[in-house]
Amino acid sequence: MSHDEIYDRLTKVFREVFDDEELCIDANTCADDVEEWDSLSHVQLIVSIEEEFGVRFTSREILKWRNVGEMADALAQKLN
Amino acid sequence: MRNVRLQNTLLLAASYAVYWYLDARMLWLLVAATLLTYAAGLAIERLLHRGHEGAASCITTLGVTLAVALLVAFKYLDFFATETAACLNAIGLQASWTALHLILPIGLSFYVFKLISYLVEIHREHIPAEHDILAFAAYIAFFPTILAGPIDRPQHFLPQLHSPRQLDWEKTIGGAKMILWGAFMKVCIADQLAPITDMAWDVTCPVHKLAWWTFLFYPVQMYADFSGYSLMAIGVGRMLGLQVTANFKQPFLARNVAEYWRRWHMSLTSWVTDYVFIPLNIRWRNLGKVGQALAVTINLVVIGMWHGANWTYFLFGLYHALLFFPLIYKGTLAKRKKLKPGRWGIPAGADLGRMLLTYLLVAVAFVLFRAPDVPSAFGFFATLASPVVPSLPIVGGSQWMYIPIVLLTFVWEYVERDATSPLHFKGNGLLRHRMVRWAVYYILLLALYTCSADAGAQFIYTQF
Repeated sequence: MSHDEIYDRLTKVFREVFDDEELCIDANTCADDVEEWDSLSHVQLIVSIEEEFGVRFTSREILKWRNVGEMADALAQKLN
Repeated sequence: MRNVRLQNTLLLAASYAVYWYLDARMLWLLVAATLLTYAAGLAIERLLHRGHEGAASCITTLGVTLAVALLVAFKYLDFFATETAACLNAIGLQASWTALHLILPIGLSFYVFKLISYLVEIHREHIPAEHDILAFAAYIAFFPTILAGPIDRPQHFLPQLHSPRQLDWEKTIGGAKMILWGAFMKVCIADQLAPITDMAWDVTCPVHKLAWWTFLFYPVQMYADFSGYSLMAIGVGRMLGLQVTANFKQPFLARNVAEYWRRWHMSLTSWVTDYVFIPLNIRWRNLGKVGQALAVTINLVVIGMWHGANWTYFLFGLYHALLFFPLIYKGTLAKRKKLKPGRWGIPAGADLGRMLLTYLLVAVAFVLFRAPDVPSAFGFFATLASPVVPSLPIVGGSQWMYIPIVLLTFVWEYVERDATSPLHFKGNGLLRHRMVRWAVYYILLLALYTCSADAGAQFIYTQF
Protein backbone atom coordinates (compact mmCIF):
# COMPACT_ATOMS: atom_id res chain seq x y z
CA MET A 1 0.00 0.00 0.00
CA SER A 2 1.42 3.40 -0.92
CA HIS A 3 2.18 6.23 1.48
CA ASP A 4 -0.66 8.34 0.02
CA GLU A 5 -3.19 5.53 0.32
CA ILE A 6 -2.29 5.03 3.95
CA TYR A 7 -2.75 8.72 4.69
CA ASP A 8 -6.05 8.86 2.77
CA ARG A 9 -7.49 6.00 4.78
CA LEU A 10 -6.05 7.34 8.02
CA THR A 11 -7.68 10.72 7.34
CA LYS A 12 -11.01 8.97 6.83
CA VAL A 13 -10.62 7.18 10.19
CA PHE A 14 -9.59 10.36 12.00
CA ARG A 15 -12.58 12.24 10.59
CA GLU A 16 -14.96 9.47 11.73
CA VAL A 17 -13.50 9.11 15.21
CA PHE A 18 -13.33 12.86 15.89
CA ASP A 19 -16.55 13.61 13.99
CA ASP A 20 -14.93 16.36 11.93
CA GLU A 21 -15.27 16.20 8.13
CA GLU A 22 -12.71 18.94 7.67
CA LEU A 23 -9.97 17.46 9.83
CA CYS A 24 -6.64 17.24 8.00
CA ILE A 25 -3.65 15.29 9.22
CA ASP A 26 -0.01 15.07 8.28
CA ALA A 27 3.09 13.33 9.62
CA ASN A 28 3.55 15.86 12.44
CA THR A 29 -0.03 15.85 13.68
CA CYS A 30 -0.24 14.81 17.32
CA ALA A 31 -2.74 14.88 20.21
CA ASP A 32 -1.95 18.53 20.97
CA ASP A 33 -3.25 19.51 17.49
CA VAL A 34 -6.70 17.91 17.77
CA GLU A 35 -8.92 19.16 20.57
CA GLU A 36 -10.83 15.93 21.17
CA TRP A 37 -7.77 13.69 21.00
CA ASP A 38 -7.11 12.48 24.54
CA SER A 39 -6.27 9.15 26.21
CA LEU A 40 -9.80 7.79 25.69
CA SER A 41 -10.31 8.82 22.09
CA HIS A 42 -6.75 7.60 21.40
CA VAL A 43 -7.82 4.03 22.14
CA GLN A 44 -10.97 4.45 20.01
CA LEU A 45 -8.71 5.70 17.22
CA ILE A 46 -6.40 2.70 17.48
CA VAL A 47 -9.30 0.22 17.43
CA SER A 48 -10.73 1.97 14.35
CA ILE A 49 -7.33 2.01 12.59
CA GLU A 50 -6.79 -1.68 13.32
CA GLU A 51 -10.27 -2.48 11.94
CA GLU A 52 -9.78 -0.30 8.87
CA PHE A 53 -6.41 -1.78 7.92
CA GLY A 54 -6.94 -5.30 9.28
CA VAL A 55 -3.82 -5.20 11.47
CA ARG A 56 -3.03 -5.64 15.15
CA PHE A 57 -0.38 -3.69 17.02
CA THR A 58 1.31 -4.61 20.29
CA SER A 59 0.94 -2.31 23.31
CA ARG A 60 4.63 -1.40 23.08
CA GLU A 61 4.30 -0.34 19.44
CA ILE A 62 1.26 1.82 20.25
CA LEU A 63 2.86 3.46 23.30
CA LYS A 64 5.93 4.46 21.26
CA TRP A 65 4.00 6.59 18.74
CA ARG A 66 4.40 10.31 19.17
CA ASN A 67 2.60 11.53 16.05
CA VAL A 68 0.64 10.41 13.00
CA GLY A 69 3.88 9.99 11.03
CA GLU A 70 5.13 7.27 13.38
CA MET A 71 1.68 5.66 13.30
CA ALA A 72 1.74 5.66 9.45
CA ASP A 73 5.29 4.23 9.38
CA ALA A 74 4.21 1.39 11.67
CA LEU A 75 1.21 0.73 9.40
CA ALA A 76 3.41 0.69 6.29
CA GLN A 77 5.74 -1.83 7.95
CA LYS A 78 2.84 -4.11 8.86
CA LEU A 79 1.19 -3.91 5.45
CA ASN A 80 4.25 -4.17 3.18
CA MET B 1 27.22 26.27 29.07
CA ARG B 2 29.38 27.04 32.11
CA ASN B 3 26.59 29.37 33.23
CA VAL B 4 24.05 26.54 32.93
CA ARG B 5 26.24 24.18 34.96
CA LEU B 6 26.64 26.82 37.66
CA GLN B 7 22.92 27.50 37.75
CA ASN B 8 22.07 23.79 37.94
CA THR B 9 24.72 23.25 40.63
CA LEU B 10 23.26 26.06 42.73
CA LEU B 11 19.75 24.75 42.17
CA LEU B 12 20.80 21.24 43.20
CA ALA B 13 22.69 22.49 46.24
CA ALA B 14 19.68 24.55 47.31
CA SER B 15 17.34 21.60 46.76
CA TYR B 16 19.49 19.25 48.84
CA ALA B 17 19.87 21.93 51.52
CA VAL B 18 16.08 22.28 51.71
CA TYR B 19 15.72 18.48 51.86
CA TRP B 20 18.37 18.28 54.57
CA TYR B 21 16.41 20.83 56.59
CA LEU B 22 13.14 18.94 56.10
CA ASP B 23 14.31 15.34 56.44
CA ALA B 24 18.07 15.01 56.94
CA ARG B 25 18.00 11.30 57.83
CA MET B 26 16.53 10.37 54.40
CA LEU B 27 18.59 12.57 52.09
CA TRP B 28 20.80 9.54 51.36
CA LEU B 29 17.75 7.72 49.92
CA LEU B 30 16.94 10.60 47.56
CA VAL B 31 20.56 10.73 46.38
CA ALA B 32 20.88 6.94 46.00
CA ALA B 33 17.57 6.62 44.10
CA THR B 34 18.63 9.49 41.83
CA LEU B 35 22.03 7.95 41.03
CA LEU B 36 20.59 4.47 40.38
CA THR B 37 17.88 5.85 38.09
CA TYR B 38 20.40 8.02 36.24
CA ALA B 39 22.56 4.93 35.57
CA ALA B 40 19.53 2.85 34.59
CA GLY B 41 18.40 5.52 32.12
CA LEU B 42 21.76 5.53 30.36
CA ALA B 43 21.80 1.73 30.25
CA ILE B 44 18.28 1.52 28.76
CA GLU B 45 19.16 4.03 26.04
CA ARG B 46 22.43 2.24 25.14
CA LEU B 47 20.66 -1.14 24.94
CA LEU B 48 17.89 0.26 22.73
CA HIS B 49 20.43 1.84 20.37
CA ARG B 50 22.16 -1.54 20.04
CA GLY B 51 18.85 -3.29 19.32
CA HIS B 52 18.71 -5.20 22.61
CA GLU B 53 15.04 -4.45 23.30
CA GLY B 54 14.59 -7.39 25.66
CA ALA B 55 17.46 -6.33 27.91
CA ALA B 56 16.27 -2.71 27.84
CA SER B 57 12.81 -3.86 28.92
CA CYS B 58 14.39 -5.90 31.75
CA ILE B 59 16.29 -2.89 33.11
CA THR B 60 13.19 -0.70 32.82
CA THR B 61 11.07 -3.27 34.65
CA LEU B 62 13.74 -3.67 37.33
CA GLY B 63 14.08 0.08 37.81
CA VAL B 64 10.34 0.65 38.00
CA THR B 65 9.89 -2.34 40.33
CA LEU B 66 12.58 -1.05 42.71
CA ALA B 67 11.00 2.40 42.74
CA VAL B 68 7.56 0.95 43.42
CA ALA B 69 9.06 -1.39 46.07
CA LEU B 70 10.52 1.66 47.82
CA LEU B 71 7.10 3.30 47.95
CA VAL B 72 5.40 0.07 49.03
CA ALA B 73 7.96 -0.58 51.77
CA PHE B 74 7.54 2.82 53.39
CA LYS B 75 3.90 3.41 52.67
CA TYR B 76 1.97 0.17 52.32
CA LEU B 77 3.94 -2.74 53.76
CA ASP B 78 2.48 -2.56 57.27
CA PHE B 79 -1.04 -2.11 55.89
CA PHE B 80 -0.95 -5.03 53.44
CA ALA B 81 0.89 -7.33 55.82
CA THR B 82 -1.48 -6.56 58.71
CA GLU B 83 -4.56 -7.05 56.52
CA THR B 84 -3.15 -10.29 55.09
CA ALA B 85 -2.42 -11.61 58.59
CA ALA B 86 -5.97 -10.66 59.66
CA CYS B 87 -7.42 -12.54 56.65
CA LEU B 88 -5.31 -15.60 57.39
CA ASN B 89 -6.33 -15.53 61.04
CA ALA B 90 -9.98 -15.21 60.01
CA ILE B 91 -9.73 -18.51 58.10
CA GLY B 92 -8.00 -20.27 60.94
CA LEU B 93 -4.38 -19.94 59.83
CA GLN B 94 -2.10 -18.48 62.47
CA ALA B 95 -0.33 -15.42 61.22
CA SER B 96 0.98 -12.23 62.71
CA TRP B 97 2.92 -9.19 61.57
CA THR B 98 4.99 -6.88 63.74
CA ALA B 99 4.48 -3.44 62.27
CA LEU B 100 7.69 -1.76 61.14
CA HIS B 101 6.23 1.74 61.54
CA LEU B 102 8.62 3.13 58.96
CA ILE B 103 8.29 6.91 58.75
CA LEU B 104 7.54 8.01 55.20
CA PRO B 105 10.47 10.05 53.82
CA ILE B 106 9.46 13.57 52.83
CA GLY B 107 8.45 13.81 49.18
CA LEU B 108 8.89 10.06 48.48
CA SER B 109 5.47 9.72 46.80
CA PHE B 110 6.36 12.57 44.47
CA TYR B 111 9.97 11.92 43.53
CA VAL B 112 9.44 8.18 43.03
CA PHE B 113 6.83 9.04 40.41
CA LYS B 114 9.34 11.31 38.67
CA LEU B 115 11.91 8.48 38.65
CA ILE B 116 9.40 5.99 37.21
CA SER B 117 8.20 8.32 34.45
CA TYR B 118 11.82 9.06 33.48
CA LEU B 119 12.66 5.38 32.94
CA VAL B 120 9.39 4.62 31.12
CA GLU B 121 9.72 7.60 28.76
CA ILE B 122 13.27 6.52 27.81
CA HIS B 123 12.04 2.98 27.21
CA ARG B 124 9.20 4.33 25.03
CA GLU B 125 11.88 6.32 23.14
CA HIS B 126 10.05 9.58 23.84
CA ILE B 127 13.05 11.23 25.50
CA PRO B 128 16.80 10.72 25.41
CA ALA B 129 18.53 9.69 28.62
CA GLU B 130 19.92 12.63 30.55
CA HIS B 131 23.72 12.65 30.47
CA ASP B 132 24.13 15.65 32.76
CA ILE B 133 23.93 14.22 36.30
CA LEU B 134 23.56 17.70 37.83
CA ALA B 135 20.55 18.54 35.67
CA PHE B 136 18.95 15.17 36.37
CA ALA B 137 19.52 15.39 40.13
CA ALA B 138 18.19 18.97 40.13
CA TYR B 139 15.03 17.80 38.32
CA ILE B 140 14.40 15.02 40.85
CA ALA B 141 15.14 17.10 43.94
CA PHE B 142 13.70 20.44 42.67
CA PHE B 143 12.95 22.08 46.00
CA PRO B 144 9.70 24.02 45.26
CA THR B 145 7.95 20.77 44.29
CA ILE B 146 9.74 18.06 46.31
CA LEU B 147 7.35 18.41 49.28
CA ALA B 148 3.98 18.02 47.60
CA GLY B 149 4.30 18.33 43.81
CA PRO B 150 3.20 19.20 41.17
CA ILE B 151 4.78 16.10 39.60
CA ASP B 152 6.78 17.38 36.62
CA ARG B 153 7.45 15.12 33.66
CA PRO B 154 10.99 14.74 32.39
CA GLN B 155 10.06 15.70 28.80
CA HIS B 156 8.82 19.12 29.96
CA PHE B 157 11.25 19.90 32.74
CA LEU B 158 14.67 18.51 31.78
CA PRO B 159 15.03 20.55 28.54
CA GLN B 160 14.60 23.71 30.62
CA LEU B 161 17.70 22.80 32.62
CA HIS B 162 19.80 22.69 29.44
CA SER B 163 19.45 26.43 28.83
CA PRO B 164 20.65 29.26 31.05
CA ARG B 165 17.85 31.10 32.83
CA GLN B 166 17.86 34.88 32.75
CA LEU B 167 16.34 37.08 35.42
CA ASP B 168 13.10 38.21 33.80
CA TRP B 169 11.01 41.01 35.32
CA GLU B 170 7.70 39.75 33.93
CA LYS B 171 8.32 36.20 35.14
CA THR B 172 9.41 37.47 38.55
CA ILE B 173 6.24 39.55 38.91
CA GLY B 174 4.10 36.70 37.58
CA GLY B 175 5.72 34.33 40.07
CA ALA B 176 5.21 36.77 42.93
CA LYS B 177 1.52 37.12 42.05
CA MET B 178 1.14 33.33 42.07
CA ILE B 179 2.80 33.14 45.49
CA LEU B 180 0.53 35.92 46.81
CA TRP B 181 -2.63 34.27 45.54
CA GLY B 182 -1.49 30.81 46.69
CA ALA B 183 -0.67 32.12 50.16
CA PHE B 184 -4.08 33.83 50.31
CA MET B 185 -5.83 30.57 49.43
CA LYS B 186 -3.85 28.63 52.01
CA VAL B 187 -3.86 31.08 54.91
CA CYS B 188 -7.12 33.00 54.45
CA ILE B 189 -9.33 30.18 53.25
CA ALA B 190 -7.90 26.73 54.01
CA ASP B 191 -6.52 27.57 57.46
CA GLN B 192 -9.72 29.41 58.44
CA LEU B 193 -11.89 26.43 57.49
CA ALA B 194 -9.62 23.81 59.07
CA PRO B 195 -10.52 24.41 62.77
CA ILE B 196 -14.23 24.08 61.91
CA THR B 197 -13.94 20.90 59.86
CA ASP B 198 -11.54 19.43 62.45
CA MET B 199 -14.20 19.86 65.13
CA ALA B 200 -16.68 17.74 63.20
CA TRP B 201 -14.03 15.04 62.81
CA ASP B 202 -12.62 15.21 66.31
CA VAL B 203 -11.89 11.67 67.47
CA THR B 204 -12.78 12.13 71.14
CA CYS B 205 -15.63 14.62 70.92
CA PRO B 206 -16.95 15.25 67.40
CA VAL B 207 -19.25 18.25 67.04
CA HIS B 208 -22.16 16.71 65.13
CA LYS B 209 -23.88 20.06 64.54
CA LEU B 210 -21.00 20.99 62.24
CA ALA B 211 -21.35 17.86 60.08
CA TRP B 212 -23.27 19.52 57.22
CA TRP B 213 -20.97 22.56 57.20
CA THR B 214 -17.97 20.27 57.13
CA PHE B 215 -19.50 18.20 54.34
CA LEU B 216 -20.08 21.34 52.24
CA PHE B 217 -16.84 23.18 53.00
CA TYR B 218 -14.22 20.45 53.31
CA PRO B 219 -13.74 20.24 49.48
CA VAL B 220 -13.15 24.00 49.51
CA GLN B 221 -10.59 23.63 52.31
CA MET B 222 -8.79 20.84 50.44
CA TYR B 223 -8.76 22.83 47.21
CA ALA B 224 -7.56 26.02 48.86
CA ASP B 225 -4.83 24.20 50.79
CA PHE B 226 -3.50 22.11 47.94
CA SER B 227 -3.94 24.58 45.08
CA GLY B 228 -2.49 27.29 47.32
CA TYR B 229 0.61 25.21 47.88
CA SER B 230 0.84 24.28 44.19
CA LEU B 231 0.57 27.93 43.14
CA MET B 232 3.33 28.92 45.53
CA ALA B 233 5.57 26.13 44.20
CA ILE B 234 4.81 27.10 40.57
CA GLY B 235 5.39 30.77 41.44
CA VAL B 236 8.82 30.06 42.95
CA GLY B 237 9.65 28.01 39.86
CA ARG B 238 8.63 30.88 37.63
CA MET B 239 10.82 33.32 39.53
CA LEU B 240 13.70 30.90 38.91
CA GLY B 241 12.85 30.96 35.20
CA LEU B 242 11.42 27.44 35.18
CA GLN B 243 7.95 26.36 34.05
CA VAL B 244 6.32 23.96 36.48
CA THR B 245 3.26 22.01 35.38
CA ALA B 246 -0.14 23.26 36.53
CA ASN B 247 -2.02 21.23 39.11
CA PHE B 248 -5.51 22.71 39.19
CA LYS B 249 -7.86 24.34 36.72
CA GLN B 250 -10.94 25.59 38.60
CA PRO B 251 -12.10 22.04 39.49
CA PHE B 252 -15.44 23.15 40.92
CA LEU B 253 -16.50 24.40 37.49
CA ALA B 254 -16.58 20.71 36.42
CA ARG B 255 -19.93 19.52 35.07
CA ASN B 256 -19.24 15.82 35.60
CA VAL B 257 -16.70 13.66 37.39
CA ALA B 258 -14.57 13.08 34.27
CA GLU B 259 -14.18 16.83 33.83
CA TYR B 260 -13.45 17.14 37.58
CA TRP B 261 -10.48 14.78 37.28
CA ARG B 262 -9.22 16.77 34.29
CA ARG B 263 -9.14 19.83 36.58
CA TRP B 264 -8.11 18.37 40.01
CA HIS B 265 -4.51 17.43 40.93
CA MET B 266 -3.80 17.30 37.22
CA SER B 267 -0.14 16.28 37.53
CA LEU B 268 -1.07 13.12 39.48
CA THR B 269 -4.13 12.31 37.35
CA SER B 270 -2.21 12.64 34.09
CA TRP B 271 0.69 10.59 35.50
CA VAL B 272 -1.57 7.69 36.51
CA THR B 273 -3.50 8.06 33.22
CA ASP B 274 -0.31 7.80 31.13
CA TYR B 275 1.34 4.94 33.03
CA VAL B 276 -1.62 2.91 34.34
CA PHE B 277 -4.86 3.77 32.50
CA ILE B 278 -3.60 4.08 28.93
CA PRO B 279 -1.55 0.83 28.92
CA LEU B 280 -4.49 -1.07 30.46
CA ASN B 281 -7.03 0.55 28.14
CA ILE B 282 -4.84 -0.34 25.15
CA ARG B 283 -4.38 -3.91 26.36
CA TRP B 284 -8.14 -4.32 26.85
CA ARG B 285 -9.22 -2.26 23.87
CA ASN B 286 -11.23 -5.07 22.33
CA LEU B 287 -13.29 -5.57 25.50
CA GLY B 288 -15.25 -2.38 24.69
CA LYS B 289 -16.97 -0.60 27.56
CA VAL B 290 -16.21 -3.38 30.04
CA GLY B 291 -12.48 -3.00 29.38
CA GLN B 292 -12.79 0.75 29.73
CA ALA B 293 -14.68 0.44 33.04
CA LEU B 294 -12.05 -1.95 34.39
CA ALA B 295 -9.19 0.36 33.38
CA VAL B 296 -10.96 3.40 34.89
CA THR B 297 -11.57 1.51 38.15
CA ILE B 298 -7.94 0.44 38.52
CA ASN B 299 -6.83 3.97 37.57
CA LEU B 300 -8.92 5.61 40.26
CA VAL B 301 -8.16 3.03 42.93
CA VAL B 302 -4.44 3.65 42.30
CA ILE B 303 -5.06 7.41 42.61
CA GLY B 304 -6.96 6.82 45.83
CA MET B 305 -4.39 4.46 47.34
CA TRP B 306 -1.51 6.73 46.34
CA HIS B 307 -2.72 8.97 49.14
CA GLY B 308 -2.08 6.35 51.76
CA ALA B 309 -2.54 2.88 53.17
CA ASN B 310 -6.13 2.94 54.35
CA TRP B 311 -9.34 1.29 53.15
CA THR B 312 -10.89 4.76 53.10
CA TYR B 313 -8.59 5.73 50.21
CA PHE B 314 -9.47 2.50 48.42
CA LEU B 315 -13.18 3.28 48.80
CA PHE B 316 -12.54 6.88 47.72
CA GLY B 317 -11.07 5.60 44.44
CA LEU B 318 -13.76 2.96 43.98
CA TYR B 319 -16.56 5.49 44.60
CA HIS B 320 -15.12 7.87 41.99
CA ALA B 321 -14.84 4.96 39.53
CA LEU B 322 -18.55 4.19 40.05
CA LEU B 323 -19.35 7.81 39.16
CA PHE B 324 -17.61 7.22 35.81
CA PHE B 325 -19.78 4.22 34.89
CA PRO B 326 -22.81 6.20 33.62
CA LEU B 327 -20.48 8.24 31.37
CA ILE B 328 -18.81 5.06 30.05
CA TYR B 329 -22.22 3.45 29.43
CA LYS B 330 -23.52 6.52 27.58
CA GLY B 331 -20.26 6.80 25.62
CA THR B 332 -19.77 10.40 26.72
CA LEU B 333 -16.62 9.83 28.78
CA ALA B 334 -14.34 11.63 26.34
CA LYS B 335 -16.84 14.36 25.46
CA ARG B 336 -15.60 17.86 26.26
CA LYS B 337 -17.95 20.80 26.02
CA LYS B 338 -16.63 24.34 26.36
CA LEU B 339 -18.13 26.25 29.28
CA LYS B 340 -20.29 28.91 27.62
CA PRO B 341 -21.56 31.70 29.88
CA GLY B 342 -25.31 32.29 29.88
CA ARG B 343 -27.12 35.53 30.66
CA TRP B 344 -25.10 38.22 32.43
CA GLY B 345 -21.98 36.12 32.06
CA ILE B 346 -22.94 33.50 34.65
CA PRO B 347 -23.06 29.79 33.72
CA ALA B 348 -26.28 28.64 32.02
CA GLY B 349 -28.85 27.03 34.34
CA ALA B 350 -28.17 23.47 33.18
CA ASP B 351 -24.40 23.92 33.55
CA LEU B 352 -24.79 25.47 36.99
CA GLY B 353 -26.96 22.53 38.06
CA ARG B 354 -24.36 20.03 36.82
CA MET B 355 -21.60 21.92 38.63
CA LEU B 356 -23.51 21.82 41.91
CA LEU B 357 -24.35 18.13 41.49
CA THR B 358 -20.72 17.30 40.70
CA TYR B 359 -19.61 19.31 43.73
CA LEU B 360 -21.97 17.34 46.02
CA LEU B 361 -20.85 14.01 44.58
CA VAL B 362 -17.21 15.01 45.11
CA ALA B 363 -18.04 16.16 48.66
CA VAL B 364 -19.29 12.63 49.43
CA ALA B 365 -15.93 11.26 48.26
CA PHE B 366 -14.12 13.74 50.48
CA VAL B 367 -15.88 12.28 53.54
CA LEU B 368 -14.18 8.97 52.70
CA PHE B 369 -10.93 10.84 52.08
CA ARG B 370 -11.00 12.70 55.40
CA ALA B 371 -12.25 9.88 57.63
CA PRO B 372 -9.59 8.12 59.76
CA ASP B 373 -11.23 4.77 59.02
CA VAL B 374 -14.25 3.25 57.26
CA PRO B 375 -16.57 3.04 60.33
CA SER B 376 -15.96 6.76 61.02
CA ALA B 377 -16.84 7.60 57.41
CA PHE B 378 -20.15 5.77 57.63
CA GLY B 379 -20.75 7.26 61.07
CA PHE B 380 -20.35 10.69 59.46
CA PHE B 381 -22.85 9.80 56.72
CA ALA B 382 -25.25 8.64 59.45
CA THR B 383 -24.84 12.00 61.20
CA LEU B 384 -25.66 13.80 57.95
CA ALA B 385 -28.81 11.73 57.59
CA SER B 386 -29.91 12.22 61.19
CA PRO B 387 -32.13 15.14 62.27
CA VAL B 388 -29.23 17.15 63.78
CA VAL B 389 -29.69 20.90 63.45
CA PRO B 390 -26.67 22.33 61.62
CA SER B 391 -25.17 25.37 63.29
CA LEU B 392 -23.23 28.31 61.89
CA PRO B 393 -19.71 27.98 63.23
CA ILE B 394 -18.59 30.89 65.39
CA VAL B 395 -15.15 29.91 66.51
CA GLY B 396 -13.24 33.16 66.51
CA GLY B 397 -13.41 36.92 65.82
CA SER B 398 -12.80 36.77 62.06
CA GLN B 399 -14.37 33.38 61.31
CA TRP B 400 -17.74 34.86 60.20
CA MET B 401 -15.93 36.29 57.17
CA TYR B 402 -15.22 32.87 55.65
CA ILE B 403 -18.59 32.52 53.85
CA PRO B 404 -18.34 35.67 51.70
CA ILE B 405 -14.59 35.04 51.22
CA VAL B 406 -15.26 31.53 49.90
CA LEU B 407 -18.12 32.74 47.68
CA LEU B 408 -16.07 35.66 46.33
CA THR B 409 -13.14 33.34 45.64
CA PHE B 410 -15.30 31.07 43.53
CA VAL B 411 -16.87 33.98 41.68
CA TRP B 412 -13.34 35.28 41.04
CA GLU B 413 -12.19 31.86 39.80
CA TYR B 414 -15.15 31.73 37.40
CA VAL B 415 -14.51 35.23 36.11
CA GLU B 416 -10.78 34.50 35.69
CA ARG B 417 -11.26 30.99 34.27
CA ASP B 418 -9.52 31.79 30.99
CA ALA B 419 -6.63 33.70 32.57
CA THR B 420 -3.21 32.13 32.12
CA SER B 421 -2.25 32.74 35.75
CA PRO B 422 -3.74 34.29 38.91
CA LEU B 423 -4.08 38.06 39.33
CA HIS B 424 -3.51 38.46 35.59
CA PHE B 425 -5.51 41.64 35.10
CA LYS B 426 -4.84 42.67 31.50
CA GLY B 427 -7.98 43.88 29.75
CA ASN B 428 -10.34 43.46 32.69
CA GLY B 429 -12.30 46.72 32.88
CA LEU B 430 -11.73 48.42 36.21
CA LEU B 431 -8.75 46.19 36.99
CA ARG B 432 -6.76 47.68 34.15
CA HIS B 433 -6.18 50.71 36.35
CA ARG B 434 -2.96 50.51 38.33
CA MET B 435 -4.43 51.92 41.54
CA VAL B 436 -7.22 49.34 41.54
CA ARG B 437 -4.76 46.50 40.94
CA TRP B 438 -2.51 47.69 43.76
CA ALA B 439 -5.54 48.03 46.04
CA VAL B 440 -6.31 44.34 45.36
CA TYR B 441 -2.69 43.36 46.18
CA TYR B 442 -2.78 45.34 49.43
CA ILE B 443 -6.13 43.84 50.43
CA LEU B 444 -4.70 40.36 49.88
CA LEU B 445 -1.60 41.18 51.92
CA LEU B 446 -3.73 42.65 54.70
CA ALA B 447 -5.93 39.56 54.67
CA LEU B 448 -2.79 37.39 54.90
CA TYR B 449 -1.48 39.42 57.83
CA THR B 450 -4.85 39.27 59.63
CA CYS B 451 -5.34 35.55 59.13
CA SER B 452 -1.83 34.24 59.69
CA ALA B 453 -2.10 33.86 63.46
CA ASP B 454 -1.32 30.14 63.37
CA ALA B 455 2.26 29.99 62.07
CA GLY B 456 2.48 26.24 62.61
CA ALA B 457 -0.22 25.18 60.09
CA GLN B 458 0.87 22.39 57.75
CA PHE B 459 0.06 21.75 54.10
CA ILE B 460 -2.34 18.80 53.93
CA TYR B 461 -0.61 17.12 50.97
CA THR B 462 2.86 16.91 52.58
CA GLN B 463 1.52 13.94 54.58
CA PHE B 464 1.17 11.96 51.35
